[in-house]
Amino acid sequence: MSIERFLDNSISSWMAGDGEHSDIVMSTRIRLARNLNGYRFPLAFTEDEAHKIDQSVSATLLDANEDLEMNFSSIQIKDLSELSRQVLVEKHLISPKLANSPMTGSALISDDEAVSVMVNEEDHIRIQCLFPGLQIQEAYKQADTIDRVLEKELSYAFDEQFGYLTSCPTNTGTGLRASVMMHLPALTITKQMNRIVTIISRLGMVVRGIYGEGSEALGNVYQVSNQTTLGKTEEDIIADLQSIAEQIIQKEREARNALLKHSANTLEDRLYRSLGTLSYARIMTTEEAAKCLSDVRLGIDMGLIEDVDETILNECMVFMQPGFLQQYAGTTLNTSERDLFRAKLLRERLQKGEKTKTKGENSYDV
Amino acid sequence: MICENCKQRPAKVTVTQVHNGEHFERHYCEVCANSLHPFYVEYKHDPLSLHQLLTNWFNHTEQQPMQQVQKKVPLECEACGWSIQRFLDEGKFGCASCYNSFREQLPTVFKRLHNGNVTHVGKAPGAFGEKLAVKKRIEEIRLQMKEAIETEKFEEAALLRDEVRELEDKLAAGGEETHVD
Repeated sequence: MSIERFLDNSISSWMAGDGEHSDIVMSTRIRLARNLNGYRFPLAFTEDEAHKIDQSVSATLLDANEDLEMNFSSIQIKDLSELSRQVLVEKHLISPKLANSPMTGSALISDDEAVSVMVNEEDHIRIQCLFPGLQIQEAYKQADTIDRVLEKELSYAFDEQFGYLTSCPTNTGTGLRASVMMHLPALTITKQMNRIVTIISRLGMVVRGIYGEGSEALGNVYQVSNQTTLGKTEEDIIADLQSIAEQIIQKEREARNALLKHSANTLEDRLYRSLGTLSYARIMTTEEAAKCLSDVRLGIDMGLIEDVDETILNECMVFMQPGFLQQYAGTTLNTSERDLFRAKLLRERLQKGEKTKTKGENSYDV
Repeated sequence: MICENCKQRPAKVTVTQVHNGEHFERHYCEVCANSLHPFYVEYKHDPLSLHQLLTNWFNHTEQQPMQQVQKKVPLECEACGWSIQRFLDEGKFGCASCYNSFREQLPTVFKRLHNGNVTHVGKAPGAFGEKLAVKKRIEEIRLQMKEAIETEKFEEAALLRDEVRELEDKLAAGGEETHVD
């Protein structure tokens, strides 16, 4: 399996838009952090250690392809161009930390891109499962299966008091970070997000904008995840996140209904203006594109906009990012060229029925 | 060049943003620059990073100044040479043995990070899992034993006591041989 398919194909299975509550929950992510006995953590280890860890983890997982009924491809990060790394980061298949690591490290990615095992990121092993919609249990089950396969062959760093030992004390214990990516436009428009963020942070959970920097949430997309990893079982962490996610979904639905009831015309006008901008604009910054995509997606979810498919937000948020645009263009682009290209890409995406393939080998499937 | 934001006034301020390791330059007029980026502060680290929090906690919780605290604590991890000071500075451990080296200090840190929790209760890898399961079983039996004694069911209590002994022997013999369902 070649790396090209992971780079060219902008659609991962998590963007498919199915799964429960997929009108609000875009995706669910589970991450398990694990380390091996006998080697220092990546922050302190040598290249020799890095190499040995990479070899044994990769070999163990590739050997288990049959047992797992999955097919993993191993990608050496060092072998990738800077642009290729950026594309994998933008698809959430690897982290920026792994992409920029000077040491030997790799990513083992399943064919459907739902599972990615990073070797020598902040910890020796990071198992990540990305599922569409709200599927916390399912994603955890998948991660747990892979964890069990690895622990049979590898000796994990574990302590009876502290649990799984990780490089960062915020992950110690279960090493589990469960998160849901939610599209919350109505709560944002009605200015309820600040209040919700405050309440959730008191419950051992964190909310942050996933694409924006700091607290700014690009495209009204927020990530809710557990903060606590010690003193709670995996099942409790998952159940708590599930319950909070369900409550936020409920609040978002109420806010959507309230908007429709009290300001339907203003709302419809705003959403259609955004559709117009996406369909015709010639220059499009990331910020404006994210805002318009969020509006259009809201329009689709509320039945106000009918002839656009609902995967548009999930997909376009990924492929309008700098790395993808350049991959698509087949050349490097400066900021203003990217804005032109982004506008072009979005226009094409919105034109129904027309082929959206470019010349040459770079293409993206819709 | 005109301002990217208002597209009216001439651009006089260049704002450089770093996102995913990539530098973006934006050109704004003074009016827009002030409203979009009111603070000209360059952060060397995250605005409020973990290591800052860790350092602050230690300073607040320990009544003595930092130097005195350091004297009581093992200064370095034997396995990797990571010092407690380095742990506080970077907010990260150097290796798994650091947990053992700094064991005494860690509950203070974990309490703050994990809602007051200091002990792992989740799953454990194979060998550990079996050991832990045995220990848990022993505790359960002890509780049953206590109940049996209180209700004067001494024969049952004796049986339970034998079961505990057997399990304890297994634990002492080494975790590998114990198999508990």
